[in-house]
Amino acid sequence: MSKIREHPPDADGEMTSPKEGDLEAFAVFTQLQRGDPHTYAGCVDAADAKMALQFAREHYGQDQPCVNIWVVPKRAIAATEYDKDLIWRYTDQTYRLARGYAKGVREKWEKIRAKNDLDDYEKEDLKEMF
Amino acid sequence: MSGSSNVGLHIDHNVQEDPEKLAEFEAKIDAGQLIEPDDWLPQAYRTGMLKMAEHHANSEIIGALPEGEWITRAPSLRRKLALTAKVQDEVGHGQMLYRVSQDLGKTRDQMLRDLITGVTKYHNVFNYPAPTWGDIAMIQWLIDGAAIMNQKSLADGAYGPYVRTMKRINMEEAFHFKCGEDMVLTLMSGTAQQRALCQDAFDRWWYPSLMFFGPPDKPNCRNLPPMRWRMKTVTNDDLRQRFINRFAPAAKDLGLKIHVVKKSDDGMVIEKQLDPNLHYDESTENWTVTEPDWEEFYRVIRGGGPCNKQRLGLRRLSYEQGRWVRSAIMNGRVGLPPAA
Repeated sequence: MSKIREHPPDADGEMTSPKEGDLEAFAVFTQLQRGDPHTYAGCVDAADAKMALQFAREHYGQDQPCVNIWVVPKRAIAATEYDKDLIWRYTDQTYRLARGYAKGVREKWEKIRAKNDLDDYEKEDLKEMF
Repeated sequence: MSGSSNVGLHIDHNVQEDPEKLAEFEAKIDAGQLIEPDDWLPQAYRTGMLKMAEHHANSEIIGALPEGEWITRAPSLRRKLALTAKVQDEVGHGQMLYRVSQDLGKTRDQMLRDLITGVTKYHNVFNYPAPTWGDIAMIQWLIDGAAIMNQKSLADGAYGPYVRTMKRINMEEAFHFKCGEDMVLTLMSGTAQQRALCQDAFDRWWYPSLMFFGPPDKPNCRNLPPMRWRMKTVTNDDLRQRFINRFAPAAKDLGLKIHVVKKSDDGMVIEKQLDPNLHYDESTENWTVTEPDWEEFYRVIRGGGPCNKQRLGLRRLSYEQGRWVRSAIMNGRVGLPPAA
């Protein structure tokens, strides 16, 4: 152990080094395969984008297959608020989805097909009887 | 809606590309890898993809016009909501596809201007009229049905941004198609008058939907750049046959008759007879129908269709009227709207 560690300075009293503030927070997005969307993975603190990419490679790129990384200053991201603005309104919006029509379409097809079958049956029936 | 199969991809084969890079690029495509805008691209690929995506974007924007006219005349509140949502989807598709095109190197404003001045084209099918609610049903059933078939094949392509956009678009197209099927079923389960209206609309749209997939295949189409580079994955004729196999029997079940028609200059049917070539071939499992009139197809592309002038006129009007909005945005005089 070095001499200075044997005799550390007094823990009380003013700090001698000035406050530096934090590094900038960067949001990290990783892509697991070419062509896939980039997915939010977490944040790193870094002095600039280059450093953030280096940190992101180590934090998020080494524990899973990862082919590409984006870093974005967190302050550059604008977002909605969960409680304040609802994106999917709670009224019935099934009119804008395929499944909103599935049941009606099936029922209408069944009716039309049943009528076609009945018409065919009657035609055959007429042929045989008369 | 829409699709890009009938866009002519005139590719300049005289550009000398670095043979090593070209081989690397083609190997990537053969291996099924997606191509991204920042990758090295042959010049002809970049121009070809731009042309295709821009044509597709133009078609989405123009395609919203005939349907938009019917929003105020929808027969019920639910149909009105659905049609509004559908038109909104189409314009949204246009926005996504202009974005894809911008990344290939053309500005959005130039694309909007080129569409209006006729420098670039949009899909031929939107040059036909939609005079009744039956036409709205047929557009959503036949044309959106055709668009899904086409766009599913395009989603198997190689250009990443376009492929991802197709997947997103196809989800919404499924709603348009289902909604259209519901409208056609409703009309065909209705009164004699409703069925007649539906039949008339079917007669107007059957041939435009067959032409939707573009002109007959060139014999070597599989070796030309659009297919070799997986900008397209299925030929026009193959897609058309799939469509006929799906919709000819469905029409029959619904009680709709397939007619060969003659139309006036304004796109209305003046003569019709039952299609004498309609039959099912059991050996090939294909339905056969009378071919579209390809002369009409080229005439309409060149501007001679019933609604070419009207569609572009409306687009021009709305572009000119939107000038103040663009200028406010470009000068930074807009913020977020006040909270509701």
